[in-house]
Amino acid sequence: MNSILLDVGFGHFLVLAAVLFAIGVAGVLLRRNALIVMMSIEIMLNAANITIVTFARMHHDLNGLSFALIVIAVAAAEVAVGLAILVAVFRGRRHVDLDRLNTLKY
Amino acid sequence: MRFLIVLALLLSFGGVAMAEEIPPKRDTANSATDDTGAALVAKAPKDRDRTEGKGGGLALLFWACALGAVGGSIFVITRRNMIAAVMGMVGTFIAVAAIYMLLYAHFLAVIQMLVYAGAIMVLFVFVIMVLNRPEDEPWALVGIPGKVLAGLAMLYLTVRLGQTVWSVRPGAEQLAAPAPVTVTLGFEIHKDEAGNLSRVQETESYGWGSTGAMGKSLFHEYLFPFEAISILLLAAVVGAIAVARPWKDEDSPDDLNDDVPTEVVS
Repeated sequence: MNSILLDVGFGHFLVLAAVLFAIGVAGVLLRRNALIVMMSIEIMLNAANITIVTFARMHHDLNGLSFALIVIAVAAAEVAVGLAILVAVFRGRRHVDLDRLNTLKY
Repeated sequence: MRFLIVLALLLSFGGVAMAEEIPPKRDTANSATDDTGAALVAKAPKDRDRTEGKGGGLALLFWACALGAVGGSIFVITRRNMIAAVMGMVGTFIAVAAIYMLLYAHFLAVIQMLVYAGAIMVLFVFVIMVLNRPEDEPWALVGIPGKVLAGLAMLYLTVRLGQTVWSVRPGAEQLAAPAPVTVTLGFEIHKDEAGNLSRVQETESYGWGSTGAMGKSLFHEYLFPFEAISILLLAAVVGAIAVARPWKDEDSPDDLNDDVPTEVVS
């Protein structure tokens, strides 16, 4: 127990990323507000980024860092488009409740 | 809640102070073989007794960051007040930036602070201010069985992922400063005294994860993805403006035949 607490290695970072990803999945599955769901998606992207950086550090490789940078840029683009879609949806319907946005289902 | 934030700050400062007290381990005999992860994994068990108790400050720093990240993300998915959720998300992002620092990805940590804790957070706060509506019923699953099922599924996912990745043995040696990387820049034409021309491959050495190394990597090997990202961002900005632009008839937005926006730039 003491060694797990003190000897922090790459496994700790990977487990932290897994826990963050699980929390993000829980947020996407449980919450109905579309904004909170987008925040949970951001948390999941961050968890994936931690994994990428940890493996890059583990293999002493610079390419992983470039991948992580590209993931950050794609996340920024995704947030811009997603929030614009939310604003457009809210303008029409006056809510962003995902359980009530089911018109495309039928 | 404020007490928790102050406690986390104190813990992280204490971790920084303890980490600075540790003399940097210079293991020159082993640093040449440290380059691959396989060597690290193979070396870790016999290093563990040697480095016992030396990584206390780094470990404290890691646990503080992990606590901040997990606590912030749990804060995000449990709050009804969305501004509070965004503040939890900012805490998560700052903790993740600190974790990048612990992994010696310094440039990425700065980018994380700028892009996530700066730009994306501001975007979220703006949109929340625009859509200022309290939630009626925040949780999608009502009833005890659904909650229990979702909790069990989340626990199962976490445990299985943890089991899979825990096979990487921990070792304090792994968090020591990484060896510098050699970046290949290209060829340079050299001319010796006899007038013969020769091509010499030009390389430079940078610290792993530093701005110099990242810049050389991005602008040499990853130049095309870098430019593609700029086109992607341009398309995203144009698309966001096109989607969020107000329409002519505000009261009946379901009328999708109305293609003419109000502000037509003439």
